[in-house]
Amino acid sequence: MNDDKINENNSEENVPKICRRKFLNTMGNTATGIVLLGGLGVTLDFLKPNVILEIPKEFKVGPIDSIQPNSVIYEPEQKAFVVRDEQGSFYALSAVCTHLGCTTKWNASGIGGNPKAIISCPCHGSLFNKKGELIQGPAQRGLDKFRLRLEDNQLVVNTSEIVSDEEMILKT
Amino acid sequence: MKFFYWISQTKIWESVFRTKLPISTNLDRALVIFNSLSLHIHPIKVRERAIKFTYTFYLGMISFFLFLVLTITGILLMLYYQPAIPNAYENMKDLKYVVSNGNFLRNMHRWSAHLMVISVFLHMLRVFFKGAYRPPRQFNWIVGVVLLIITLLLSYTGYLLPYDQLSYWAVTVGANIARYVPLIGEELSFLLLGGNNIGEYTLVRFYVLHCVILPAFMVMLIAFHFWRIRKDGGLL
Ligand code: HEM
Ligand code: FES
Repeated sequence: MNDDKINENNSEENVPKICRRKFLNTMGNTATGIVLLGGLGVTLDFLKPNVILEIPKEFKVGPIDSIQPNSVIYEPEQKAFVVRDEQGSFYALSAVCTHLGCTTKWNASGIGGNPKAIISCPCHGSLFNKKGELIQGPAQRGLDKFRLRLEDNQLVVNTSEIVSDEEMILKT
Repeated sequence: MKFFYWISQTKIWESVFRTKLPISTNLDRALVIFNSLSLHIHPIKVRERAIKFTYTFYLGMISFFLFLVLTITGILLMLYYQPAIPNAYENMKDLKYVVSNGNFLRNMHRWSAHLMVISVFLHMLRVFFKGAYRPPRQFNWIVGVVLLIITLLLSYTGYLLPYDQLSYWAVTVGANIARYVPLIGEELSFLLLGGNNIGEYTLVRFYVLHCVILPAFMVMLIAFHFWRIRKDGGLL
């Protein structure tokens, strides 16, 4: 006879707006939901490391008198080219390919019979000129340019500050 | 023969294999399949054409077999491999030149990995051309797609483990591709690498994915895939 009672309770008219079963179900499901969501959040947080050992964003090159015009210094740690052009001005380029992040190489006399193609990427063959402008894809844009400033006869490169073509040159 | 017959009549044999030997009736034949964990991937009755080689080319089973080979050789490789810098690269070199038969083991793991990608792909083609993805098998097709993705992810994560130049740049390129995912791309790549660049954290993450998380999902899904074959009425 118990069955009948349950059925009776479940039929539309007899069910009170909130009965004990509904109340307990809602409480139970809500609590489980909160715990699951919380667990997910805490786990995602856990997966993001708080301390990562990375090299400092700023580095120094110089003294500038010892850098010849028309030369390049490659900083492998920072993946940056620091260039002094024929006029004696300085600029700094990121060596990280704008396609999918491989490290590019500086070829003083160009590559593949193209004397302008000074910077090349080994991964999928992107080419850039010595100003970092795109010559050939698959990369879609030129290399990033870093801000340069002069401090006590030394160049300070800041790899977190990407600048435009005009801003990139540091005249001396 | 006599010896085998004797064994098949012992209490121990009977307790392990429920079917009474020798098999004589069709019912006995069906029971062999029905009572065995490994054989009951087949329905009790199989259409004769469904077990012909040219019907499936056994591609699913070949994939499964390769997965077993990869699991065994992979576990053995784990005994000489530490997911740390610079240990990983040195361990891989030691496996090649110092550990007895290490190079053989490593090559077995590598070749099986390549073959598994190929055989899973061909298996998928066969299912497609037989039209075996149609109802009621549409869900098992989806399970199959996930299995292919896990296979590819295993290859991708495994590729970082030797930690040589090829590994490093392949994973750099892969993580940068993940960056292009709309909205969550940056976050995704950061979580995957455990940082902005490949480093110690990346190696451990890929190791755990490669040796624990992905194989665990693989095992569960393969079991489910097989179970569904039966429930969907055997091979088409
Ligand atoms: C439970 C299963 C598996 C375990 C425990 C395992 C374990 C390992 C370990 C420890 C390594 C590093 C050793 C080395 O680099 O030589 C490795 C490498 C690798 N694994 Fe696996 N693996 C498993 C399954 C797979 C599967 C299913 C695939 C692909 C379909 C795969 C693809 C690779 C690849 C491509 C490498 C790099 C191999 C090399 O460079 O020699 N693995 N695996
Ligand atoms: S990463 Fe440089 S061309 Fe693709």
